Amino acid sequence: MSECMQVRHLSKHYARGGKHVIAVDHVSFTIRQGECVGLVGESGSGKSTLVRLLLALEHPDQGEILFQDMSLTRTNRRVLRQLRQHIQVVFQDSTASLNDRLPVWRSVLEPLDNYAHVIPVFFRGVVLSRREQAERLLNIVGLAREHMDRYPHELSGGQRQRVCIARGISLCPQLLICDEPTSSLDVTTQSQILRLLQSLRRQLNMSVLFISHDLAAVAQLCHRMLVMQQGRIVDACKVDELWLAERHPYTKVLVSAAR
Amino acid sequence: MKIPLFIFMGMVLYGFFLILAFTGSWLAPNDPLLIQMSERLQPPSFTYPLGTDHLGRCILSRIMAGTHTTLGLSTAVIVAVAVIGVPIGFLSGYKGGRIDAWLMRVADGAGALPEFLVAVAVAGFLGPGLWNVLLAIACVKWIAYARIVRGVVQTEREKEYVLASIVSGSSGWTIIRRHLLRQAASPLAILVAGDIGRTILLLSALSYLGLGAQPPAPEWGAMLNDGRPYFQAAPALMLYPGLCILLVVLACNMVSDGLRDTLDVRSKQRGIEI
Amino acid sequence: MLVTEERQFRMLHASVERKRSKALDDEAPLVLRVNQLQIALIQQKQSRLLVQDVSFSIRQGEMLALVGESGSGKSVTAAAIGGLLPKGLQSSGQMWLHHRGLHELDQGEWKRLRGKQIGWVFQNYQGSFTPFMRIGKQLLELLRTHESLTKKEAKARILDWLRKVGLPPERTYASYPCQLSGGQRQRVALAAALIPGPSLLIADEPTTALDVVTGEQMMDLIAGLQAETGCAVLFITHDLRHVWRRAERLAVMRMGRIVETGKTSEIRHRPAHPYTRELLAACPRLWEPGELEERAVHV
Repeated sequence: MSECMQVRHLSKHYARGGKHVIAVDHVSFTIRQGECVGLVGESGSGKSTLVRLLLALEHPDQGEILFQDMSLTRTNRRVLRQLRQHIQVVFQDSTASLNDRLPVWRSVLEPLDNYAHVIPVFFRGVVLSRREQAERLLNIVGLAREHMDRYPHELSGGQRQRVCIARGISLCPQLLICDEPTSSLDVTTQSQILRLLQSLRRQLNMSVLFISHDLAAVAQLCHRMLVMQQGRIVDACKVDELWLAERHPYTKVLVSAAR
Repeated sequence: MKIPLFIFMGMVLYGFFLILAFTGSWLAPNDPLLIQMSERLQPPSFTYPLGTDHLGRCILSRIMAGTHTTLGLSTAVIVAVAVIGVPIGFLSGYKGGRIDAWLMRVADGAGALPEFLVAVAVAGFLGPGLWNVLLAIACVKWIAYARIVRGVVQTEREKEYVLASIVSGSSGWTIIRRHLLRQAASPLAILVAGDIGRTILLLSALSYLGLGAQPPAPEWGAMLNDGRPYFQAAPALMLYPGLCILLVVLACNMVSDGLRDTLDVRSKQRGIEI
Repeated sequence: MLVTEERQFRMLHASVERKRSKALDDEAPLVLRVNQLQIALIQQKQSRLLVQDVSFSIRQGEMLALVGESGSGKSVTAAAIGGLLPKGLQSSGQMWLHHRGLHELDQGEWKRLRGKQIGWVFQNYQGSFTPFMRIGKQLLELLRTHESLTKKEAKARILDWLRKVGLPPERTYASYPCQLSGGQRQRVALAAALIPGPSLLIADEPTTALDVVTGEQMMDLIAGLQAETGCAVLFITHDLRHVWRRAERLAVMRMGRIVETGKTSEIRHRPAHPYTRELLAACPRLWEPGELEERAVHV
């Protein structure tokens, strides 16, 4: 497997109320092609800052992010725009993730509007109107034609999250970053979304970075996992190595909470 | 979308006056400026449907011609102000940093002055006149538009859908066009509708004081002033222009309030949480 | 840092190991009895039933978990018991707290009863406190509306409770809500609910807004304090994981009806209703090594 994303010694701090808060502290890891990596940590552990850095929404103080051997951190705007096509995101708060004044089909098509030349694999060989494209995408994530013209507040939380996932996969990205996509859903919906992500990852052969505070969800979906605490990666292992005795104490706490 | 009755009535009323503003000078039965001392203070008749004023001019014709001045100019000035204020708000909110701080200091300074006082001061400096008053109003009003847009941009730009949009390759301009303008549209519409009404009131008040439209130009506020000495003998001189001001401002406020109640998509979902 | 981790770890394990000492006592007096509760949403002269024929009871010292997905009517049921139904919702049926018929109370009697007899912990801990007042002062006001105590006595009692919910008492007492983390605020909310000594605690998704570890600690705390005070707990959740090892009985709710009810351990191993099975399957769990093979043998 070749490397999809490499993160080297990434650091970011904030000055909050005169205090110097280190949100991400020398974080290094690798995500390989087609691999699903879980990132676990409690709230305030720096997960969200890390996500913003990986999405190049913020600039790190130190360190480097390589996406397929191209730097995300030291690059100009044109190249960054080209790279963004391959890294997409699904956020936790599905309400805030969709513009409440756009019908969902317009939100779903947003990435394709920006990269008009990209023809994702599920549209190959057919000519589709924009509405048909949106319908196809929504079908892929299990929504029907009747949901197309609805506004976000007319959908349930799970349906909204499906719309976000449809938008996330519309460009067939190499890497999908899922920032706690199931945390604000109830359990039955959670498991449906997890299954959806699982099957999409296999079909599209994309890498997934799945961020959660719930070790059980991560274990269900991922091959490998990273444990983050206070801005640092304190533990990294394969899912089936979770029960080994040499795990970091914090990992053990997470394990016993997820049992 | 179904338009509520309230807004519909306001729009019809406003639309009626707006059409008058453009066609009034042609439709007027008489020359609004023609002074005929022999015909002064006539009661309504076939030639003068609302009678004549103290200089023998046709009141109906003057009101119709005045619509152009009062309503047309107020609308135009607000549109112009929005065109100035909205981009400044976007610039300020989106860029942030020093541009924002600088623009907002200017806005604070200008915003501290009540528009009525500025208008009086401008009239004092540049002499009374409609254009000077409009300039004064524009100088003060753009701030509200810039502020609203800036506020919307600042609250929305940190939301995940904007972040997701950046991640999916949108440029700053695309985000403004596709997302932020849409979010700012309804507060702006509410503000514009209300501001047209307020500007009409302001313009009339200044003209009434003799600082706005100069005689013999037909303008509602100035007509009120003209009719003041004859109020007891001929109330029609003040009644009709006053009524027109009332109706137009009422129409604007109805539209503004109606929009406030209906445009907010999010207010619909405010209901019972189950 | 390592020390706190060790402590967290031990706390969790202690709770796992701790069996609920009191055996389920069928003789304990009933605290809450709900009979044929119906809740209807009345909108534009049309009414829609949100909750139908819901009946259950909770004994003293018992925890009943009401489980269901969002929209199943579990939160409105709780709101009806607390007399906090929003406008437009109408309830019918009978509810008794000890021997008082809650359905017969007027607003004034409700006010006196709520807080004193029924404590609440909500999902949304942000909304539980005014941001502009120190925690101590808010708790003080709360306590003194229910009991006539001197300031000194009240303060001592509050500090005692803050200690019981595992917070540094003096520091928390002098903090503003925004200075506390989500988990800490939820702990204060729990203290606030229990200070007046209610006989029923309604915990409406107290863990949903918290992360897994903090949520587990919160539930341990609720279970522990329940054992100490002997109050009855109505625990509302969508997450069955918090229910095991804690609730004696379980009621599964779906589309406004209770579809299955019984002892937690029995439902866990022999769920009768298909929906319960679905819920069980949906629960993300970390399988212990060996457990998967064991299950495979059973199936």
